[in-house]
Amino acid sequence: MNLPRRHLMIGLAGLAGTAATYARAETPLTSDAPKGHVDTAVQRVPFYGPHQAGVTTPRPEAGIMAAFDVVVRDVDGLEDMLRRLTERGATLTAGGPVPERDPNLPPADSGILGDNITPDNLTMTVSLGASLFDKLEGLDRLRPRQLQRMVEFPNDALVPANCHGDLSIQFSANLPDTAMHALRDIVKNMSDALVLRWMQEGNVPPVLPAADGTTPSARNFLGFRDGSANPDSNDADLMRNVVWVQDGAEPAWATGGTYQVVRVIRNFVERWDRARLSEQEAIIGRRKMSGAPLDQPDANEHTVPDYTAGDHTPMDAHIRMANPRGPDADKHLILRRPFNYSNGIASNGQLDQGLLFICYQADMELGFLTVQNRLNGEPLEEYIKPVGGGYFFTLPGVANAGDYLGSALIMAARQS
Amino acid sequence: MFSLKPTAFAVSITMLAGAPVLAADPSLDLVAPLADYKIYVAENTAQLVADTDAFVEAIKSGDLETAKALYAPTRTSYEKVEPIAELFSDLDVTIDARADDYEHAEADPNFTGFHRIEYALWVEDDTAAAVPFAERLMADVTDLDARINALTFPPDVVVAGAATLMEEVAATKISGEEDRYSGTDLWDFEANFAGAKKIYALLRPLITDDAAFIEKTDGNFDEVDEVLAKYREGEGFKHYEALTDDDRAFLSSRVNTLAEDLSMLPGKLGLS
Repeated sequence: MNLPRRHLMIGLAGLAGTAATYARAETPLTSDAPKGHVDTAVQRVPFYGPHQAGVTTPRPEAGIMAAFDVVVRDVDGLEDMLRRLTERGATLTAGGPVPERDPNLPPADSGILGDNITPDNLTMTVSLGASLFDKLEGLDRLRPRQLQRMVEFPNDALVPANCHGDLSIQFSANLPDTAMHALRDIVKNMSDALVLRWMQEGNVPPVLPAADGTTPSARNFLGFRDGSANPDSNDADLMRNVVWVQDGAEPAWATGGTYQVVRVIRNFVERWDRARLSEQEAIIGRRKMSGAPLDQPDANEHTVPDYTAGDHTPMDAHIRMANPRGPDADKHLILRRPFNYSNGIASNGQLDQGLLFICYQADMELGFLTVQNRLNGEPLEEYIKPVGGGYFFTLPGVANAGDYLGSALIMAARQS
Repeated sequence: MFSLKPTAFAVSITMLAGAPVLAADPSLDLVAPLADYKIYVAENTAQLVADTDAFVEAIKSGDLETAKALYAPTRTSYEKVEPIAELFSDLDVTIDARADDYEHAEADPNFTGFHRIEYALWVEDDTAAAVPFAERLMADVTDLDARINALTFPPDVVVAGAATLMEEVAATKISGEEDRYSGTDLWDFEANFAGAKKIYALLRPLITDDAAFIEKTDGNFDEVDEVLAKYREGEGFKHYEALTDDDRAFLSSRVNTLAEDLSMLPGKLGLS
């Protein structure tokens, strides 16, 4: 072989480099796993408290929304199911070693997290659908007042197989496998009572901190920052008003719970990517890169838009229709906790992706229903299509190890 | 000792503390159930040959209605003994493959057997199209019968077979995709179910230390029977579409729980 001298030298240098890297054990090989992070793996969200975790707690990268049919005959069966679900939730979110079993039996755990379950910020948020209150005797009178079957809005094209359910579980975790491990555990251990009806996985892209140290909102699959106007989830007073059901508004058992709205909203991304940037920004009402409102294009995403100052923001811009910033704006706040989803391709060859929209509010009518009704007919509809989801009521929290999810509901059901 | 608790963690703890369930050589305890099961399978494969003969005759004579009427009942004896029948994977493919098993689906020339005939009868509406497949089916089930009669049944396959049949139901019968052209899935469902119940019934006396397992499993079998009974019609079952969403969810829960619990049988009976 007669290689030009320069190539030979590069080749030798390359070989020398390879030898050197083999000597350093920390240089990963093709087959090495991506490096995990101990600091995030050990993150644990407290399971017990007045409210369930996974609502006002920070949204980690991975999410799964799963809806189930509940197969129990009566309130006793429901209690048994809820107690076991509580036990699984407490166990999985705490983490710990996987139990060993006689190797001649199927293993107790799927094993996808190995022999030690890392908590990894896992939360499991359990909510009930209106159909559960319909199907169990003695439960109808205890239904949260505004809990109903998801309605179909004008732009919706709901796929029956991806809608509704007697019970939903929102799994959130740092890593997708942690959320999936929890779902597999529920499917395996609760098969006599919970039948999976539909599920949607999603994720939130991690975002680098801004120069001032704050973390900007993550982008959705339209390329816009999503959640800029979300109420402050660390403001406990605000959350009491916006998210948590208070005494008196609902059946007593529901205090501390919240309404969960789930919408699987397909984005027609090919078409969106072919829309002019100026049109995209006019449709949303924000600058695409910074998230700043159009009336203050050099501000940031958290700047409150001023719709009185000229006609920078079209009347039918998404953010303006959703929240016209009128005097009663605070009444209609919702806490959004969405994930982006991608499901391969649709039958027409276009990408099947969009937003797994999840929001929480103490009042469905003032919250999601008002906002969505305002949005009917918005220009964004040309690029989005809600295809699934459901309305659920997120149970109040589990007070302590002696309590279980929905205990107040079960007690109320027994008092005739 | 061994008791089945709702949570996997509880099971593991009791299991580790438990002693071996059976005497030193589990195969001795299995001799009688295995012999009984061999008779059950032989009866079913003999029935399969006889029923297939009548089915094939109807197709050859161009009697579409009779052929359609015989399709589901002919399959049931195959579905009952599927854990054994599918040991002969070459025949399982030619007898019972579905269009999904082929990239070109119904158009694939290798698509043969019951479901290809089902497609000819219900979709192509043509007995003549089914004749070559019917002749092949006759040869295949005859071959299967002979091979099974010559087979020494592997104990682990038989014991695991109860769960295998529940997995069949969970994977293909609950969804109505097995007999998609004829809608006769509930016949198959019941046959798989009967086959699992037979194995369980034969082994049940060997499970002497776990009343909770017996009670739960008996209860789940009974509840499936009760729901299926609502769909009985004539000698068989209503069209799959008659199954309500609630009943489908209920059956799914019971079948998956049976699959979970019956997957414990080999370990419980000391098989490794």
